[in-house]
Amino acid sequence: MNWKKIILNGRVILLILFLTLSVVSLATRGLTFGLDISGGISITVKLENPVDPQTMEQVRIALEQRLNALGVKDIVIEPWGNQFVLVKVAGVSEEEGNQIVETIERQGVFYAEFQGVIFATGKDILNVGSVSYDPREGAWVVPFRLSKDAAEKFAKLALGKAGYPVDMFLDPPVNSTLVVSKEFYQAMLSPRFQMNGNMTLIERISKAFNIKVIQYSNQTPEEIAKVAKGSERIILVDVDGKLAEELKKMGLKVEVRKREKNEDIEDFVRRVLRLYGPYRVSEGLATGRPSTEVMISIGGSQNDIRARNDAQVVSVVLRSGSLPVKLSIERIDYISPKLGENFKKQVLVAGIAALLVVGAIVYLHYRKLKIAIPVMFTSFSEVLIILGIASLIKWNLDLPSIAGIIAAIGTGVDQQIVITDELLGESGERKIVRRSGVLKRMGRAFFIILASASTTVVAMSFLFKFFVGGLRGFAFTTILGILIGILITRPAYGEIAKELIGGRR
Amino acid sequence: MVIKEKLRVLVEMEPKRMIMYPLIVFALAVVVIIGNYALTGSLVKEGIELKGGSVITLQGVSADPDELAKEISRLGVEANVERFTGIAGGGGIRIYVPAGEDVNKVKAFLREKFPGVEPEITVIGPTFGKMVREQGIKAIAYAFIGMAIVVFLFFRVPVPSLTVVFSAFSDMVIAIALMDLFGIELSQATIAALLMLIGYSVDSNILLTTRLLRRKEFTVEDAYYSSLKTGFTMSTTTLGALVSLWLFSTAKVIDDIASVLIFGLLADFMNTWIFNAGVLRMYIAKREGKKK
Repeated sequence: MNWKKIILNGRVILLILFLTLSVVSLATRGLTFGLDISGGISITVKLENPVDPQTMEQVRIALEQRLNALGVKDIVIEPWGNQFVLVKVAGVSEEEGNQIVETIERQGVFYAEFQGVIFATGKDILNVGSVSYDPREGAWVVPFRLSKDAAEKFAKLALGKAGYPVDMFLDPPVNSTLVVSKEFYQAMLSPRFQMNGNMTLIERISKAFNIKVIQYSNQTPEEIAKVAKGSERIILVDVDGKLAEELKKMGLKVEVRKREKNEDIEDFVRRVLRLYGPYRVSEGLATGRPSTEVMISIGGSQNDIRARNDAQVVSVVLRSGSLPVKLSIERIDYISPKLGENFKKQVLVAGIAALLVVGAIVYLHYRKLKIAIPVMFTSFSEVLIILGIASLIKWNLDLPSIAGIIAAIGTGVDQQIVITDELLGESGERKIVRRSGVLKRMGRAFFIILASASTTVVAMSFLFKFFVGGLRGFAFTTILGILIGILITRPAYGEIAKELIGGRR
Repeated sequence: MVIKEKLRVLVEMEPKRMIMYPLIVFALAVVVIIGNYALTGSLVKEGIELKGGSVITLQGVSADPDELAKEISRLGVEANVERFTGIAGGGGIRIYVPAGEDVNKVKAFLREKFPGVEPEITVIGPTFGKMVREQGIKAIAYAFIGMAIVVFLFFRVPVPSLTVVFSAFSDMVIAIALMDLFGIELSQATIAALLMLIGYSVDSNILLTTRLLRRKEFTVEDAYYSSLKTGFTMSTTTLGALVSLWLFSTAKVIDDIASVLIFGLLADFMNTWIFNAGVLRMYIAKREGKKK
């Protein structure tokens, strides 16, 4: 047997190249698992009717803004076609999962507040114009129309108070007590939140929403409970977790907010309070004359994507976080993160068992390790390359995807057997001596393989195209596996087998 | 191998009988499906994914399903409870709550009864189920048509192509009948498996057809016998892989896909190596008779 000849063959080199790439990709990027394996919640939301991409984007932003309120990390919102949105959150507890579902179902509540007085709520925002760039202002602007009542109320409040801050809130934590870290407390008092006004942010929210803020300095749970009396819930912001347990034991409703890595402290304040802004009152609005046509401008150049996004968010918030279309929750899949671990192990065991069983059966049929080992090796490489590509494109490996890999391996082994049998010929009765004979047989084997691969790819493409649900993963990995099979691993196996079986005749 | 020698029986069988037996099985499968339709009003039992409703899975819990169902019915919710096991340890119970019932009540009850057990919950709205079903039917129909076109393009002869298409169809029908008999529900996973079956089925049929039609240097019997052996190897390896998958996993998605594929592959063995082979042998005999 000529190893050098095998290794130096172009098709085998291609296989080795792909194997190396896959191993590198797997080692450096790792695999991303679907929620049905890693645990988490996936919510399929249906819009009342199909919408255009622009509306879809508004829906996405609106959902994102609302869900941010929960302080849950890594929320993925994926529009699906023109009528579905998938909301996925990894690694959440059941309770957090329920909160997410409730938030999606509920309408957001909007408040505009000035000097601790709420002058407008969602129903006072009559019309929100589209976000546009205003070259005169040098800013992105969101025009909107206020109700007459709200405009008059604001005019009275803002008389002579140019430069004071206006705050807008979407679902603020009303009637609650915030126990915050020192840094957070300081940030709330920063000039950024006070502007030229005479009330601090803490004073404003206390007056408007009955939100009490305490700086945490090792108070006992009892002391905190005493201060928090009358509040609906206590929110611990950047405070150690043990306190939460103790307060919960006392029968209090406790929520915890943690600052994310690299999160700006001011952004963190906004996120906890669900605050947008504050926005500076312009000279024109402080004259005491009510104006119903107002706008919020966000400074930045025309190419400033961040400013544009901020403006988009404001426009969504002004619509009370309400969505341009009605939506309904169609499907919820929840799986606890602990269970997922178990699944990962099971799938691995099942995969290895399947591979060994295939190897054993192939060996039983041919009684030759020379055939069984290359067959297993080829299947194994196929799995490795599929996983390698999955890790490269960050495909979410869910259970259907894994089933798809297994299905692809199943057809793969079948095709290797076709090649092997074509090469073996008539079980030794008539030996093929001429090389052209071997080539002809290989040609026929590849005709069979190509025909069956194309039918499977055609069948699976329909699945990929038509399904909304998780089965796309199944279709994707099956197609990927078949393509890798006919383009990379099968030709290489053909070469190896030709050397090991055919070449010796 | 000894078993492979036994396959000789098939070589000696008369083509007419080779066609007849699989057709009888096909007819029986159709009867089962129609019977199921008469009894339940649907061709195959539809799972929660298609009907809407909720499934709560509790891994690692052992409880008497009937007892639990009774306890849940005391909450005013009629639920179905079933037990499942996996070979590599594990197992647990699944609770099916029909659409429109209060799942939260059941969830709260279960949390109290099995504290510390992490659940897996799926809730599906009825309209979504309807859409999944429509999509499923569409996907299967299109895939089937696509497959038929590809097969015709490859062979360009009507009789063998039609036979390949029919045996793929028969595989699916038999798999569905077996799903009825074993109580496996139609779900996204089983729809995918039925689609996959098209691929597997065409695989073996193309092998047989190519070998018989293109292998001119041997007699039909020789060619048939050698392909039969290849086909047998193919089917056993795939079955081996699927059975180990089915044994080791407790994930319903994987179990369901594996069992439907196992049904289909068994049917496919018959439809390819007996039915299709019979048709081809008659077809070749006729063609060669004409030539003479």
